[in-house]
Amino acid sequence: MNRKLKHWAGSALIALLSGGVIAAAAAAQSSEAVSEAGGKSLVQYLQKGEGRITDPAPGWDYLWTEVIIDITVIGILFALMTAYFIWRYRRVPGGPTVGSGPTLSTAAAVGWVVIPTFVFMADDFFIAANGWVLWNKYRDVPAERLEVQLESGMYSWDYTYPNGARTQNELIVPAGKPVLLRMTSRDTLHSHFIPDFRVKEDSMPGRVTYLWFLPREAGKEHVITCAEYCGVMHSYMAGRVIVKTPEEFKAWYDATGDSTRKSS
Amino acid sequence: MSQHDVAHHHAGHAHWDTSIWPAIISLGILAWALAFSFHFVYHQSFTALIVFGIGLPMIVGGIAGWTSESMGKGEGLAYGAMGWFILAEAMIFVTFFVYYWYMRLMAPSWPPPGTPQLPVVFPLVMTAVLVTSSVTIHMAEEHMHDGNKAAFLKWLLLTIALGATFLGMSVYEWNHLIHSGFTIATNSFGTTFYSITGLHGSHVVVGLGIFLAGLLPALKGNISESFWRTASLYWHFVDIIWFFVVSQVYFW
Amino acid sequence: MNLKEWIFTTDHKRVGVLYLIGSIAAFIVAGVMALLMRLELSAVGPTITSNPTSYNVWLYAHGAVMILGFQIPALTGFFANYCIPLMIGAKDVAFPRVNALSVWLFYVGIVLALLTFFVPDPPDVMWTGYPPYSTITTGNTALYTFTVLILGFASIIGGVNFLTTIAYMRAPGLTWNKLNIFVWCTLAAFVLQLIFVPVLGTAVTLISMDKYLGTHFFDPTRGGDVLTYQNLFWFYSHPAVYVIFLPFFGVLFEIVATFAKNRVFNYKAVVFGGIGGIVLLAGEVWVHHLYVSGMVDWIRVGQMVTTLLISVPVGLMLIGLVGTLYKGSITFETPMLYALGVLFLFLIGGLTGIPLAVTSLTLHLSDTYYVVGHFHYVMAVAGTFSIFAGVYYWFPKMTGRMYNEFWGKLGFWITFVGTNIVFWTMMDIGVKGMPRRYYDYAHFAQFEPAHKLMTIGAVILGVGFAIALLNWIIGAIKGKPAGNNPWGSMSLEWTTVSPPPHGNWPSPPSVSEEWTPYAYGRR
Ligand code: HEA
Ligand code: HEA
Ligand code: CUA
Ligand SMILES: [Cu+2]
Repeated sequence: MNRKLKHWAGSALIALLSGGVIAAAAAAQSSEAVSEAGGKSLVQYLQKGEGRITDPAPGWDYLWTEVIIDITVIGILFALMTAYFIWRYRRVPGGPTVGSGPTLSTAAAVGWVVIPTFVFMADDFFIAANGWVLWNKYRDVPAERLEVQLESGMYSWDYTYPNGARTQNELIVPAGKPVLLRMTSRDTLHSHFIPDFRVKEDSMPGRVTYLWFLPREAGKEHVITCAEYCGVMHSYMAGRVIVKTPEEFKAWYDATGDSTRKSS
Repeated sequence: MSQHDVAHHHAGHAHWDTSIWPAIISLGILAWALAFSFHFVYHQSFTALIVFGIGLPMIVGGIAGWTSESMGKGEGLAYGAMGWFILAEAMIFVTFFVYYWYMRLMAPSWPPPGTPQLPVVFPLVMTAVLVTSSVTIHMAEEHMHDGNKAAFLKWLLLTIALGATFLGMSVYEWNHLIHSGFTIATNSFGTTFYSITGLHGSHVVVGLGIFLAGLLPALKGNISESFWRTASLYWHFVDIIWFFVVSQVYFW
Repeated sequence: MNLKEWIFTTDHKRVGVLYLIGSIAAFIVAGVMALLMRLELSAVGPTITSNPTSYNVWLYAHGAVMILGFQIPALTGFFANYCIPLMIGAKDVAFPRVNALSVWLFYVGIVLALLTFFVPDPPDVMWTGYPPYSTITTGNTALYTFTVLILGFASIIGGVNFLTTIAYMRAPGLTWNKLNIFVWCTLAAFVLQLIFVPVLGTAVTLISMDKYLGTHFFDPTRGGDVLTYQNLFWFYSHPAVYVIFLPFFGVLFEIVATFAKNRVFNYKAVVFGGIGGIVLLAGEVWVHHLYVSGMVDWIRVGQMVTTLLISVPVGLMLIGLVGTLYKGSITFETPMLYALGVLFLFLIGGLTGIPLAVTSLTLHLSDTYYVVGHFHYVMAVAGTFSIFAGVYYWFPKMTGRMYNEFWGKLGFWITFVGTNIVFWTMMDIGVKGMPRRYYDYAHFAQFEPAHKLMTIGAVILGVGFAIALLNWIIGAIKGKPAGNNPWGSMSLEWTTVSPPPHGNWPSPPSVSEEWTPYAYGRR
């Protein structure tokens, strides 16, 4: 009984230690990885940089690649092991007709729980930490920005600019300036999805949600599409982000803004 | 018994148990589901009424047939099973209460406009009635264990009477509130008030239904201990839930 | 054969077979819906229908019927009914009539689901039924509500029945740590059903109350809130995926142990770490379906971590499964082929859940075909393959006859190819931005070739499944006699005759000290 207990305690301790080491390594790795990506590490993140724009879209691509590599490695390890066992222990003529799987000692049984648990947990925390850093970038809207109100409805996107200018299904923005959308809906759920900027968020009646993105290249157009089932014509609820140079944008903005003001 | 005997037994005169009552009840429920659609979706109230009318005897008769077929034949496992069932039931109430708390705590002001003053004494009386009925069913159960059939029946009938009184009081109160213009559609409090009290009321109805279903065999002297222990457990559950209803909906 | 003794039966095996027939019928109907959808999507613009509502109704029916009418009833209805009393050495379930009620209600639910194709204004609310759309559509939302409610109720009474059966009706000597892994898995699945189905039932009831009785649960102009529904729905529907996952993994354990002739690797780790861990975590991860819904921030950190942590118990179960192959003596009959296929394909499905669990990555992935690919790999592939594996495995027990091994294997390989074509492609275009629930993809025309490929893949898939279904039908009618224990399994259900008589054993079996369902090579 006493020995059994020691086994338990011993293996738990070893597992804890190894898990801790892996977790620590993972955490260190995670902050490095993110700063390499051009973003901020967790530590840097806490001391918010003034006026710096950290665009989540490239961060998304980076983290995506990282997570895909991570799960591919895990998947291949498991698949290889399975394939090896299947091949190695297939029944051959003259071979054993019954398996001889091991009877695990208590220590081994516990070890087979605790060690994988910590390895998996380490990986989970690593992914979670990275994901969380990126999430904060998504929610941390730069102060210097263009703020547009969006009301979605079956089946259109209606934008209102700070000067009262209105557009439908066309979000006209200047290059190089972050754009913040404050969104609500007049009927059902919709989701404003811009694949090129790796961002979407639902809009709904009775609440205001937001998202932001950083258009970079003037002269480009990006598809906007509705990602939340909203009714019969859901799949036709599309629009465009039209990126202009700051000058072109200013010209358009002043012109439309004026006309709206005059008419009202 | 040898393999051969088994095979023979199977191939030959094996008798497989059947019961038609589950099928009848299920079809009755199907009828009710269709009746709902006819009335509320397609606005064919007459058809709805007919279909509902077809379902009603199927369900009531099905339950009666089921009870008389199986009363006292179980293996006494119903009590344990009722525990699991109550877990599921409790989750329905939990869902409603969570919704209610969430909505209430999020609301800018409470109660929302249009809510009348709810009575204070009346719900207390209702509580007293229901608690008493819990005691009486317990008494009935005690007498059953002692083998005193007459006393058992007496306390059981008292319980049923108290349950019915409670139900009557609920109906009276709903009626009163609805006539004073406070309905389920008035505001979000109306919505939760009627749905939570209604949900609880429906459980009282089911509880009374169980009692009545067992009453007929009991009057004939067929008293199943397992059945009554289980029924009484359910009734206690309905009683306990009422404390939550009354404290959250009336006195908070 | 006496038809009345089948239709009104209260015997657990016959109830199980009725469940199987109903759920396979549901699978075929929902599979045909999938084929229609695939045909519609095979080219940009209207192809086989010019009415988007038709597509939406197919999609609604496909999702709802596949989950509620096919997988949950096949796993917790058919397998549980057929196998559990046999595996624990019981004559029947605790409440045979309740069991009959549950299968009848299941048929009522199926009828309601199929009425979708016959009523005017069929429901088009998707299997999620989100308000406000579900409360303002002209579609018949009540049908959705009642389908869910009745199937849910059937499942709850089934759960009560089986928890009682497992707790009180085990054969003498059959202690808790001698239960088949499948029994543990089903027990856990039913605990989840009992706790969470009532929440779903309430949620869909509130939808119909809002729509038809004038209440304001989800109406923000009267103090309601649309997000509440999504929380309630996923509070059930995430655990629901484990209600599917647990029993199908249980089936895999039975099959892998039998065909490797090996004991389950680290039994207690699988039961307490794996199954127990999933039950504990299942209720704390629902917010991962709401990452783009505007949920408050603080709750998603916690739920991102819990969601990722699900990989731990699932990983432990997988280790148990792969470990069971270790030092086995493996043969490759059809059930084993399907089971081994799942070992690989579930990895794809489960691991693609990991990026989805990350709240920031999901801001791009949510509601795209990536998600559709993920859940088809776990459910439509891993789940369906396991169900097929299980039906093949217990086929000789149910019918006393053998299916055709050649056609069985051929069907497997065809399906294996088909699934990967369809569902891998889904993930690929999803990451590139293709949103789900699209009747037409005019502004994503670049995906047309991929959609065409998936349509072809779906047909291949259908052929593979059709071969399996025909194989069963033909095998049941004129297969060779199979004997009582063709696989040489140690588990109790193989100790009675095939097919087992009413009452299962002439006298209830009792088990010895050394016996376990997996005690191969040890006397
Ligand atoms: C049987 C069904 C099933 C199963 C088992 C799972 C399993 C998982 N699912 Fe999935 N999921 C669905 C069915 C299922 N899912 C459905 C139906 C939907 C969409 C519903 C809809 O919107 O219509 C969905 C959607 C869905 C979403 C929401 C996407 C969105 O709409 O935005 C998310 C997000 O987190 C998610 C995550 C996961 C995770 C993390 C697991 C995990 O349980 C997976 C765990 C498994 C592994 C990780 C692999 C094996 C483990 C190892 C090899 C160990 C080592 C691994 C690591 C350390 C990483 N799923
Ligand atoms: C268990 C669950 C399950 C299963 C098995 C499947 C199986 C399949 N699914 Fe489904 N699917 C879902 C669950 C499932 N699905 C869910 C929950 C959704 C989301 C719904 C929503 O958004 O609300 C979805 C959505 C979904 C979409 C997304 C549509 C969209 O978002 O716009 C697509 C698109 O291709 C699809 C395809 C398929 C295909 C090709 C199969 C194939 O595997 C099917 C193969 C089967 C058959 C083809 C039937 C067997 C064939 C025969 C018996 C031949 C005989 C035929 C005749 C006699 C005619 N599914
Ligand atoms: Cu708007 Cu979908
Ligand atoms: Cu989930």
